[in-house]
Amino acid sequence: MIPVRAARESVLWLVMTLASVAAVAADTPQSWLDRMNDALNTRSYDGVFSHWQGGQVETLRIVHRVMDGEVTERLESLDGSGRQFVRDGAELTCYLPDQRTVLVEKAPASLLSTALPKFEGAVAAYYQLASLGTTRQMGQKAEVITVTPRDGYRYGYRLWIEHSTGMPLKTELLDTEGNAIEQVVFSSLSMRHHIADAEFKPQLVTTGFRWLRDDGGPAVTAEGTGDWTKAQLPPGFQLTAQTAQMMPGVAEPVTHLVFSDGVATVSVFIQTEVFRNTPNQQQPGVAQVGTSSAFTSVQSGHKFVALGEVPPATVRLISEGLMRQWAGQALGLPQGPK
Amino acid sequence: MSNEELESQLSAMFDDELPATECELLARRLARDEQLRTRWGHYAAIGACIRGQPGVQLETALASKVSAAVKQEATATGVPAVGRQQRRFFNPWVTSIAGFASAAAVAALAILWMRNEGPARLAQNPPPPQPVAASTPVTVAPAPAQQLLAAAQPDPARLGSQPRRQSREPDSYVTPAAASEAPMLVPPTELANYIVAHSVYSGPLTRRNALSALVGGDAAVPQVNVQPAAVKVVTDK
Repeated sequence: MIPVRAARESVLWLVMTLASVAAVAADTPQSWLDRMNDALNTRSYDGVFSHWQGGQVETLRIVHRVMDGEVTERLESLDGSGRQFVRDGAELTCYLPDQRTVLVEKAPASLLSTALPKFEGAVAAYYQLASLGTTRQMGQKAEVITVTPRDGYRYGYRLWIEHSTGMPLKTELLDTEGNAIEQVVFSSLSMRHHIADAEFKPQLVTTGFRWLRDDGGPAVTAEGTGDWTKAQLPPGFQLTAQTAQMMPGVAEPVTHLVFSDGVATVSVFIQTEVFRNTPNQQQPGVAQVGTSSAFTSVQSGHKFVALGEVPPATVRLISEGLMRQWAGQALGLPQGPK
Repeated sequence: MSNEELESQLSAMFDDELPATECELLARRLARDEQLRTRWGHYAAIGACIRGQPGVQLETALASKVSAAVKQEATATGVPAVGRQQRRFFNPWVTSIAGFASAAAVAALAILWMRNEGPARLAQNPPPPQPVAASTPVTVAPAPAQQLLAAAQPDPARLGSQPRRQSREPDSYVTPAAASEAPMLVPPTELANYIVAHSVYSGPLTRRNALSALVGGDAAVPQVNVQPAAVKVVTDK
């Protein structure tokens, strides 16, 4: 009996110790962020939130379902234009009733393993995580977590993560000075086990609408899109995905490179078909849509478009790094018509 | 971009001959390039000196260099420097940099800055510099970038059809149409397509936010007026 009891007590002690460690771990900012990512990627929910950016507030509804690993989502503006995005697996449909137009895009298969941004590992080198404590948000207990960048190449976050579900009830995107430049606040949110297909159908009549459908382009091999791993990039950013895809209005496949520091993501699109006779660096341009920064330029007849939710300087640096590499190497990008 | 090209752009900006889009880019470069800001300050000092700006005192070392250069140029060309350069330097950019900017000028450039930086960034700019009495001596030195950006006054023709504002006019402006937000290489519609394609690879949080900006902003996705070459167009009956 005694050996059995001793063994049982040992196991009990081990279980208690592990539980204690787990409890401590559950309180770290890292674990809160992991819970949030897990909730966003695996839970089904239906909510209404306000989106503030640039002094404008818009109310939107999101219906998000994860079933058998497949994501279906509908994002609808409840104000103004009535635009809607419906994502069904790899297909994204944009309903633009104000323009009587529907855009349908298919996500290409990535040539590299695409890792969704995660708050882990090397991220600590570029972001500082902290907990500001527990508060109440939307009547629920929420942990306030800050993700503060350690340099000026990325934005930060302030997140109100609900205790019971791990859902972010409120999020703020912070600029390099720590000022909120975008805010999303849920006014209602329900976690649902079952959401019917009908709830992803837009409640609008599309009679007479133009449908612009991208049926996908020819397959492009990894070799065909070049080796872009040697470009000089801002600290922490690495190539995480590389593919080629058809884009509306472009006859040739567009090379799509994705760079990430683990949290922020920047896409660079490289077109070859246009600007064949355009001098280098002619009319480089910057643009801002919401908090997404974009930088466009031309190098050796190739158009580079870099964009992401990062400061404008970051997309510019990434684009210029790639252009420098392009200028220095003869890469086998898909060639357009002569 | 070479130093000569930059110099040329700076000069064109002072002459009010630089396109608005390039002004924006140069203003952004000024914000992060200390050397360029120094050159900008020198332009301001030279302009003020040539115009014989009342109440303006130059830093000693710079003043002597400027005076020598002005005299040398006048001798070489046979044209009085002040008269010839009066037109060249008498434009809103220089006037503002010299510290005589009106509140209206500040707001006008703020629009240019806001078009690229957004209101949040704009809010970080320091308050507009107050007009300085003519009798108050002012030392012209390279000004901080933010101050330069906030103080310069663009040609109203670049911002729309509004007439040139007088210094006592209120600092209330209407932001120009968003058509120039995505300049040159990428039309706004194409930019929206890129954002959608990018969103596939974003994290769930940033993806939602990026798409929300497209869904919510009436001006974010302008009229789809292209017939995409690689896209089937079908009209829903």
